[in-house]
Amino acid sequence: MINTGRKHLVHIVKFRWLWMGLTALLLIPGIIAMIYSSTIYPNHAPMKVGIDYTGGTILQYGLVEKVTNQDVAKNREALEKIGIENPYIQVLNVNNTQQEQTKSNINSIISIRTKFIDKDSTVPQQIMSVMQQEYSNPELISVNSVGPTMGKELFKNSLLALSLAVLGIIAYLSFRFRFDYALAAILGIVHDVLFVCGVFSILGLVFNVQIDGLFITALLTVVGFSVHDTIVVFDRIRENLRYYAKKMTFGEIVDASVNQTLARSINTSLTTLITLLALYFFGGVTTKDFVLAMILGIAVGTYSSIFFCSMLVDFWNDKKEQKAAI
Amino acid sequence: MKNKIIMFWVIVLIVLLSGVAIWKKPVKLGLDLVGGSRLVLEAETTASVAKITPEVMQRLQYAIESRVNKLGVAETVVQQVGDKRLLVEIPDVTDLTEAKSFIGETAQLEFKKKAKNANGVEEWVSTGLTGQDLSKSTLTTDASGQWVVSLEFNSAGAKKFGDLTEELVGQTMAIFFDGELISDPRVNEPIYGGNAQITSGGTGFSYEEANRMVNLLNAGALPVPAKIVEENTVGPTLGADSVAKSKVAGIIGLTAVMLFMLAYYRVPGLIADIALIIYSVILFALFKTIPVTLTLAGIAGFILSIGMAVDANILIFERTKEELREGRNLFTAINSGFDRAFTSIFDSNMTTIITCIILYMLGTSVVKGFALTLALGVIVSMFSAITVTKNFMHLIFGTGELKHPGTFGLRQDEIGKGYDAVETKREKARFGILD
Repeated sequence: MINTGRKHLVHIVKFRWLWMGLTALLLIPGIIAMIYSSTIYPNHAPMKVGIDYTGGTILQYGLVEKVTNQDVAKNREALEKIGIENPYIQVLNVNNTQQEQTKSNINSIISIRTKFIDKDSTVPQQIMSVMQQEYSNPELISVNSVGPTMGKELFKNSLLALSLAVLGIIAYLSFRFRFDYALAAILGIVHDVLFVCGVFSILGLVFNVQIDGLFITALLTVVGFSVHDTIVVFDRIRENLRYYAKKMTFGEIVDASVNQTLARSINTSLTTLITLLALYFFGGVTTKDFVLAMILGIAVGTYSSIFFCSMLVDFWNDKKEQKAAI
Repeated sequence: MKNKIIMFWVIVLIVLLSGVAIWKKPVKLGLDLVGGSRLVLEAETTASVAKITPEVMQRLQYAIESRVNKLGVAETVVQQVGDKRLLVEIPDVTDLTEAKSFIGETAQLEFKKKAKNANGVEEWVSTGLTGQDLSKSTLTTDASGQWVVSLEFNSAGAKKFGDLTEELVGQTMAIFFDGELISDPRVNEPIYGGNAQITSGGTGFSYEEANRMVNLLNAGALPVPAKIVEENTVGPTLGADSVAKSKVAGIIGLTAVMLFMLAYYRVPGLIADIALIIYSVILFALFKTIPVTLTLAGIAGFILSIGMAVDANILIFERTKEELREGRNLFTAINSGFDRAFTSIFDSNMTTIITCIILYMLGTSVVKGFALTLALGVIVSMFSAITVTKNFMHLIFGTGELKHPGTFGLRQDEIGKGYDAVETKREKARFGILD
């Protein structure tokens, strides 16, 4: 028997239905939000899509004042008056603890999303004059523009990247392990990606959070990391099978392997989460959503590799044995 | 043991070299950190230019380059991406709307003649002959070996040029490019047939001068309009803010990870921390030497890789602890810990590298920066977390029995209660186990 040196902390096989239920619980709210979103958004996207994929322009202004919700409402009205249809306005409050270093006295950033502004357009000047009426000394600090055709192209590229990454991982895992392990790892990826997308769909509905090119990058990183975790568990199952296949059932080996790698799985995610949390709370404002997507993904990726993927492998093995018995 | 001491000095040497690289080389920061404008332009077809050929793109690139250079900013970049796009990078932009004004008007090559204006003052006036009428310009030398700019007009241009030179015999004619006088040769005789040459009076053209003119003329000769399809412009304030914040986030992240490793894994944790510092030093030196342009996303990739770099150490230490629980001596436990963790480390890092390669191939420049730093990080971490840590572990712990389990974060009563390790004869030989 494999003795892990202590009692098993988690029981994959025994509580199989609990883990299946928990997985469903994690995914269902997000899936509902995505279905709901695709019925209410004009482009039928499951999440609120940023300018990277739809085309458009985002102008960011640095302000000395702290911006309130009333200010934003006033801005929206003023912008609509100068002919900007349905402008998205987002306020980022800067925790400006490093004023001394950067010599900036910006306390909040207001970003305004409009349709794609062409090079000859006077819209930026008009918006600037609106901002000057409302705030003491607004400073245009960034301009991001993506043309409508470019947006479609970027979207295609992102989907291509995501599918190529998944195919690459399936190929590598099938080569190093067995195909059914690869399939379980892929379902783990689907689980993690669905969860992160679901949460961002909810964030889009509630806080107007939009997904962009960096979001897809975050998803791909999460995919890599989640597979990373799953491999360590599977590697242990493979090793234990080599030594104990005759003495223990498959389920017992899965349980033991998960418990042997438990400390590692949790500690690795913990160190990665520590650095990500540092980035989230102390890093630049522009990468906040990107980091948030990774935090969510890595946390759920750890769950899926411990509970979800190993459960699947065991579940399939059970079905196979049942068939063989008949 | 001798090998281990040699390895130790190799590691010291690498760290010293990296230190020199960090000290000597400047760091290359991306436009989102120093402030600047990054534009993607797309060439558009016109009635006269139905297809964007590589030649057309090259002319467009010369035209845009000359405009961007006029802004007087150092280290601008104009390069072709894909079939019909140009990437333009202009650092140190302070006025965010001014940066892109250079694409506002299309390139204009004009032939002018002198004429009196309403006040009786002589000035250059347009003749109606422009870049539209030029088919191409080439760089040649004349009989005396001087650099000469040859012009070739299209049929309409040839007719206009013939008429113009007929009119201007004995006078000067000027070639203007975007309002700037390039040359004002004297017309000696009417020129028919659609070919002309520009020579410089006096000292003659230098190669650079003549070549620049050919490029400008070719560029001006084909003014295809270009539109902005993507823009990322960041003011210097936001850039400086991002740099300062990334530094703080990086230091806090690194310190927190190091404290965690020390608290959980004790002496091996300390060794992992040293390996992590070595990792950061080598990686930073690589960024400076290659050089990798650091963007905000790239720095995020770097900081993320710190968290992932200790992963290999965590795997190894967990494994080593298991072996120690089983009652192995230190040398064997460390060796088998490394050996058995290796396949997991290798497989998992390979999948990260696969995703990075795909991101690098398909991503936008922001995404590319992230993928590159993350991939470099994973590769360097294989060295720091495996080679460096293993070397230090052996040098510090030697070959004896584990006398103080606390150094590994183990309790005395845990020792000898581990799983029954089973291994083949070959593995025993490799780990140095004596029955």
